[in-house]
Amino acid sequence: MVVADRKRLRGQILRGGAALAALLAVVLHSPASISAQPPSAQLPIAQALTTPLPSPRTANYDIDVTLDPATRSITGTELVTWHNQGVVAAYSIRLHLYWNAFRNTNSTWLKQRRLAGDDPFAHADADDFGYTDVTKITVVNPDGSAGRDITKALHFISPDDQNADDRSLAAADLDPAIQPGETLRLRIEWKGRFPKNFDRTGVIGNYYFVSQWFPKLGVFDAGWTAHQFFANSEFFADFGSYDVRMTVPKGWMLGATGVEQSRSDSGDRTTYRYRQDDVHDFAWTTSPDFIEKRQQFETPGRPPVQMRLLIQPEHEYLADRHFAGAAAALKYYGEWYGSYPYPTLTIVDPAWQSESGGMEYPTIFTAGTRWLSPRYSNDPEYVVLHEAGHQFWYGLVANNEVEFAWLDEGINEYSDSRVQWEALQPNYLVQRFFGDFVPWQYRDIKLQRATDTNWMNTYRRAPDRDSLSTPTAGLWPGTHQNMSYHKAALMLHTLERMYTWETMQKVLSIFFAKWKFKHPRPSDFFDVLREVTGKDQQWFIEQVYNSSNTFDYAIERFSSESLSSRGLFEDTEDLRFKENTEKGTFRTTVVVRRLEAGQFPVDVLVTFSNGEQAREPWDGRGRWAVFNFDRPVKAVSAQIDPERRLLLDTNYTNNSRTLEPASDRAATKWSLRWMVWLQDLLMTCAFLV
Amino acid sequence: MTPGAWGLGLGAWGAWLDGLNRVKRAPWLVIGVWLSTILLALPLTLVLQEQIGAHLGSSMAAQAAADGVNYDWWNEFLAQTSGVGASFVPAILGFAVVMKNLSTVADVSPMPMVIAIAVSMYLLVSMFLAGGVIDRLARDHDLGAGAFFSACGVYFVRFIRLGVIAALVYWVLFGPYHTWLFDDVYPVLTENVTVERTAFFIRLGLYAAFLVPLYAFNILFDYAKIRAVVEDRRSMLGAIVASWRFVRRNAIAVGVVYKINILVFLLVIGLYYLIAPGASADTLAFAIGQLYIVLRVIVRLQFAASQTALFQGRLAHAGYVARPIPKWPDSPAAEAIGPR
Repeated sequence: MVVADRKRLRGQILRGGAALAALLAVVLHSPASISAQPPSAQLPIAQALTTPLPSPRTANYDIDVTLDPATRSITGTELVTWHNQGVVAAYSIRLHLYWNAFRNTNSTWLKQRRLAGDDPFAHADADDFGYTDVTKITVVNPDGSAGRDITKALHFISPDDQNADDRSLAAADLDPAIQPGETLRLRIEWKGRFPKNFDRTGVIGNYYFVSQWFPKLGVFDAGWTAHQFFANSEFFADFGSYDVRMTVPKGWMLGATGVEQSRSDSGDRTTYRYRQDDVHDFAWTTSPDFIEKRQQFETPGRPPVQMRLLIQPEHEYLADRHFAGAAAALKYYGEWYGSYPYPTLTIVDPAWQSESGGMEYPTIFTAGTRWLSPRYSNDPEYVVLHEAGHQFWYGLVANNEVEFAWLDEGINEYSDSRVQWEALQPNYLVQRFFGDFVPWQYRDIKLQRATDTNWMNTYRRAPDRDSLSTPTAGLWPGTHQNMSYHKAALMLHTLERMYTWETMQKVLSIFFAKWKFKHPRPSDFFDVLREVTGKDQQWFIEQVYNSSNTFDYAIERFSSESLSSRGLFEDTEDLRFKENTEKGTFRTTVVVRRLEAGQFPVDVLVTFSNGEQAREPWDGRGRWAVFNFDRPVKAVSAQIDPERRLLLDTNYTNNSRTLEPASDRAATKWSLRWMVWLQDLLMTCAFLV
Repeated sequence: MTPGAWGLGLGAWGAWLDGLNRVKRAPWLVIGVWLSTILLALPLTLVLQEQIGAHLGSSMAAQAAADGVNYDWWNEFLAQTSGVGASFVPAILGFAVVMKNLSTVADVSPMPMVIAIAVSMYLLVSMFLAGGVIDRLARDHDLGAGAFFSACGVYFVRFIRLGVIAALVYWVLFGPYHTWLFDDVYPVLTENVTVERTAFFIRLGLYAAFLVPLYAFNILFDYAKIRAVVEDRRSMLGAIVASWRFVRRNAIAVGVVYKINILVFLLVIGLYYLIAPGASADTLAFAIGQLYIVLRVIVRLQFAASQTALFQGRLAHAGYVARPIPKWPDSPAAEAIGPR
């Protein structure tokens, strides 16, 4: 066991001990102890809020913030109570200041984005840039009095890329250090300005979505895990309690992580107070334009959840479809993995052009839909389902999204794809025309789970740019989604096809139960996979996870002919030329080939004209193999990986051959269809002549 | 039927009806223009057929593609193909054809080079045929293939000259003007718009700002061609000026005729919306597609016929064309097969 593993094990023991101590404290000191609680279905929200959840509550925030729409800025003060649950002393702090990624074009975030060929701030005005500035940071003494002012000690660091211009991560030394088990309290004052409506956070008109807005501590274990903000990656923080008071213009509706505790007016402003325990982030939104709708989610065996929808007026007719997507996530993820433990879930329909859609935060998320959204095309259902699903994978099982985003994105995409298949059918392809406004639904094209909603088509266009094991922030810009979402989902679906859905559901439910409120790593997932399947899986991990190899198996040759031979054969003592044909016997020859570097065991299936089939396994390691079958009838088809277990095979058309192909008919049909399109285009353009 | 029979002094509606009758009396024009689209499209269709056939090979995936839609195979093909194959997208299905092509023009969307070349060639073919088509519709009686193609040849060079001017105008409209409207004006107008519906209607307004001058110049060049043929004008600049005079003096009738034709065009695509075939394999689907193309051809000819009828009804008379019927060069063979 290496040093890092021993430290990690000590950390796990200490955290487990702390959690046990906390649990015991609750049981011993709380009259309304768990055993005496009424069934959770009957709990009002406020009481449900106090039911303790087993999170370590490492980093706790008590925040006051005021929004000034005139300057598009916020001013805030936070009291951070941080418990060192690591295994070593903390000699410094790490503070994430995410909005500084949009401070200027020298930031790591924008540099990485430019590497991907995109320069969104190339012509930005001064007002378009954003920032977070810490104006004061003070250590708070145990008695609550102000301690050492460490404002001047706060300095920016860039441990990942040594970019001295990056301001997304700051550090300050602590004196004295905070020993394991001790508590640090900091009072931080800051101001921030929203960047222009851009990448998840920002403002447009009177719509504000406020995320990654407060100075946030990194994660501490055997040292700080705190990365700079990269374009490729998302976020990572510790669980804790949040008590936040947000002051906004009077009459503006507000939605946030957690449960509303109070609302008070003062002059032309309203202050909302929200609280939520056992989460690792806090986001909020405000606008005078929202229409609010509520619906209670209830399903047998699961605690009820109050779903709150803040929807744009032009999308009001889609409200039920938003609730349907969220309810599908709560129901199916709840049944498959474990219950959603919070009393509320807020769905935010972002304003047009806000660039804040499709993003998850604890108990609140943004969806995003279109004014014209045909039914039976899973818009908005899909994005609502996906982001609600993140409450489980990211919100509860809180992997480090900077390093292993696939653990939430990939598992979630795999899961939402299955939910769509089970509960949201049919799901037709839609494309948009006339400036991407006018939808057209293809009633002939139903999107399939294995390929379409796993985004196979995106994956196959760049399958080898990176390996899934590459830390997310280090992926080549532009491949993050292909790897973390699509390849991961296809990998999990391949495992499902190898071991059955029941097995994968067991893997994920155990992984969920074991790692919720914690920070798992990929090795933790693979450990559960090994435990449940009873197999080593190392070959699979090497081929699929650790490598960037592409997979492509093909039937290279397929023939079925009368078994015959000719040449010189022994006849008593002489050699005689003979031509032999074994009447009534056909030799079927199948040559299979591995066209790419990826290796995977596959089956070869041959079907004969009398309906019989023959199946042979192939370990898929060699570059090619030959299979011969002697039968009294001819074969009609040969397939490699006939059940398509290996969903990562980028070219499935070459996986089969038949002696009665329909390719001529298909080619004629589709080329003639295409011809009508071309003729129409010619007539349309010739209108001008 | 002559225009005067309606007793309308050839108003717009009378001109439109007259034009429709002229088209009805020229079935070979319809067939010929329809065949011209097939002749241009067929070579590339065969290329695509070859590409699809080669990609499917003897794969079992072909069965699903032949019977319906094999979308997974389709995406695989698109990921691996180029040239003509890159234009083989789901928008070739059913009514999406119309959506995509109108959107391509409205948004000036790029198209694969090979398609752009095919379109350019068809514009040249159309320009060549335009003289013969207008001549035939103007004379309103059968002339025979020889006279038709002779007329095509006579006016082709003139229409090339007109085409140069038109190309310059259309380049400005589809180029800098369209770019200014949609890459400069549209972002400014929608910068702080938070309601998609509003952005959509702004875009519709800009489409109108784009299409109005487009149609205006289209009308101008249409009547320039008509005047060039009917009055046997050699100068295309003169034809344009004369067209402008006619349009200006008869603006209401010209506009009404154009609008009726646009309405008919919308009815045709509305009909196709109702009957456009899905992905089924039967030959009826192809026949419906070709029926739609034939209707498009009729609409296009109707534009020319009704505009010609309006012009002749206002400034000349039905059947009048200044130039004598084009004749073949003197030769026994030509006399044997020439118009009788």
